Amino acid sequence: MRRTVVIFLTLLVLTGIIAQANHYLTTRHIYLFVGGLFVTFAALRLPFGAGFGAVALGGLLLDSTLPVRFGTLTLLFVTAYTVIFNMRDRLPREETAVRVLVALISNLALFLVLSFVLVGDAPSPGSAWLRLFFDLLCSQIVIALIGPWFFALQDRALLLARTEPITLD
Amino acid sequence: MQPKRFDQARPFLTLGILIAGWLVVPVAVKSFVRASFFEFQAPLAVAASHVRDLQDYWGLRLHSNDELIQAGRDLGRLTASYEDKVQENGALQDEIGRLEGLLRLPSYADFRLEHARVVQRDFSGWWQQLVIRKGKNFGIPVGAPVIFAGGVVGRVKEVRAYTAVVELISDPSVRLAAKVEGDDHPISYQGGNNPTFGPPEGVIEFVPLNIYASSTIPKTLLTSGLGGVFPPNLVIGQITSVEPGTDGLFKTGEVRLDPRLSSLTEVTVLVPINPE
Repeated sequence: MRRTVVIFLTLLVLTGIIAQANHYLTTRHIYLFVGGLFVTFAALRLPFGAGFGAVALGGLLLDSTLPVRFGTLTLLFVTAYTVIFNMRDRLPREETAVRVLVALISNLALFLVLSFVLVGDAPSPGSAWLRLFFDLLCSQIVIALIGPWFFALQDRALLLARTEPITLD
Repeated sequence: MQPKRFDQARPFLTLGILIAGWLVVPVAVKSFVRASFFEFQAPLAVAASHVRDLQDYWGLRLHSNDELIQAGRDLGRLTASYEDKVQENGALQDEIGRLEGLLRLPSYADFRLEHARVVQRDFSGWWQQLVIRKGKNFGIPVGAPVIFAGGVVGRVKEVRAYTAVVELISDPSVRLAAKVEGDDHPISYQGGNNPTFGPPEGVIEFVPLNIYASSTIPKTLLTSGLGGVFPPNLVIGQITSVEPGTDGLFKTGEVRLDPRLSSLTEVTVLVPINPE
């Protein structure tokens, strides 16, 4: 339970930072989406139940502020979480580079699925994709840059809360 | 010991059960959860907006007295000019009232102006919305029109305890009835794609064939006041191109919205005084 709360609080911090970044980037019409960071650490590091709870709460946090059907992001996040969790024993998951790579791939998948779900509202979906691809590129760059810091923050937060992470095989 | 294949499938089984459970959760419960999560993080966004205001304040404190005196003079001239306009507006309102009485026309809806600071702008390729620092505590209703100095901003989509979410007219899901300045035919406006580094855009449909506009000779698009929450004659944007539609009966076109929409810091909510 404590692990869930700690990881959820780090996701809250990430939500606040990205929301502020997006606020300032509106003048350039750039939007950052970092869904991959919401699922990666929990999926690679925590037991299934604790991580699932944290990711679901993080998804609900985003869902509550965005104009999508409530639960859409949560559903996508927990699905991505489950897929990564199932594959994690085959990955050198203590490596930061691997975590960042997993975050990038999961973010790409989440972004594309969300785009296919939402782009139908646009008057000309073809030209909407140009904007979306540029947003995706910027988001991936940001994940590559802040990913190592954010995973370290989550690791440190678990240590500070005296919730020992599970031992890696 | 359980078979390995079942162990691997267990996370997916759990996921399936939880998704099935979520689908049967009543809408009221989902609405409550959504509102709770929104209000939980609202203080973060509001605090950040107060910090921005404080930064602006300290930035302004750095101006010299001479600059402030100059700004005061400019403001004085502007106020004098607005006072003239207020008197002119009063005379016109009296004239409208007199004509409405004479012709027995229904009055236009009356609004209370509620100015609000922008807490957070959230403009993606999927949606365009912003959060303002007033909500139920100031009697903001859902659906209220939101304007700024450049014209229409959008409409209030959700109202929370002390914040409200405004859907921008550049959002692809927004549609409203509009008209071209100098022409009374109603046309349909929809929020468009918002390209990176460019101004927000919209599209228009059902434009009469006798309307012409180009980027060098744009036409102003106004709200029509028909079938919606917006009062008539508010500026939406500039029509930069129109071309015949596929049906040959109407034209379609593109609208360039005010670039200031991307950097709004303060907006005005039109709160209906006598909502129907």
